Amino acid sequence: MDGGAGGNAGGGGLSTAKTPADFLKSIRGRPVVVKLNSGVDYRGILACLDGYMNIAMEQTEEYVNGQLKNKYGDAFIRGNNVLYISTTKRTLGDQ
Amino acid sequence: MAHNPSHLMPSELIDRCIGSKIWVIMKGDKELVGTLRGFDVYVNMVLEDVTEYEITPEGRRITKLDQILLNGNNIAILVPGGGPE
Amino acid sequence: MATEDESAVKEPLDLIRLSLDERIYVKLRSDRELRGKLHAYDQHLNMILGDVEEVITSVEIDDETYEEIVRTAKRHVPYLFVRGDGVILVSPPLRTS
Repeated sequence: MDGGAGGNAGGGGLSTAKTPADFLKSIRGRPVVVKLNSGVDYRGILACLDGYMNIAMEQTEEYVNGQLKNKYGDAFIRGNNVLYISTTKRTLGDQ
Repeated sequence: MAHNPSHLMPSELIDRCIGSKIWVIMKGDKELVGTLRGFDVYVNMVLEDVTEYEITPEGRRITKLDQILLNGNNIAILVPGGGPE
Repeated sequence: MATEDESAVKEPLDLIRLSLDERIYVKLRSDRELRGKLHAYDQHLNMILGDVEEVITSVEIDDETYEEIVRTAKRHVPYLFVRGDGVILVSPPLRTS
């Protein structure tokens, strides 16, 4: 992995920090939720990713407004659409 | 000007927030509050114990997340210290 | 990048490489979907697809009842170029492995 999210922050004092690169290393093979800027969620097992936040996922489920819309065995998600990558466990509520 | 000690660079300001709550306002109708764990040169950020606020036609939707990597691309404003409430 | 094991998925684009000459599903911006055979691609995810079915979904609101009307338009294109910046998701055919 190089470029993009692999960079380190400017200032010092980062020895205890968890940088984006650390996070990306720690979540391979784990269940994740990927949220896109459009609001669509993808839940699945993270196979791999690169510095552009391009993502390969397995057992992917597509949720639109919290409703399951599609399933994909494998899915490639283009990084520019990604809002965040989250480890799972989430609760929803409207207010 | 680069070495004026009273002049805080933006990245140093964010660096000082590591370990603390931070309020992130995105372009568009999204905001997040969480504990900052780290960031990189693109201001991609690792956040923990995150609350996400979305404005939808049905009202405000709140989502709780353990740990996320937030793409820096659509971040508009960072507010150290915490959230809208 | 030549590796010993060409079937391995080490980076996301490997998933696309392994789908060459296979039929794939492509989700694009503005509610467009393509299904076609992947002939070529590059690192931007520009793609050449053959024997393509395009589905365009649009939602209209009825002026009187305010009901959502979902319309899908389909068309067939023998051969086309997809610009990578419009791509949201690519899914290869289901593989057993």
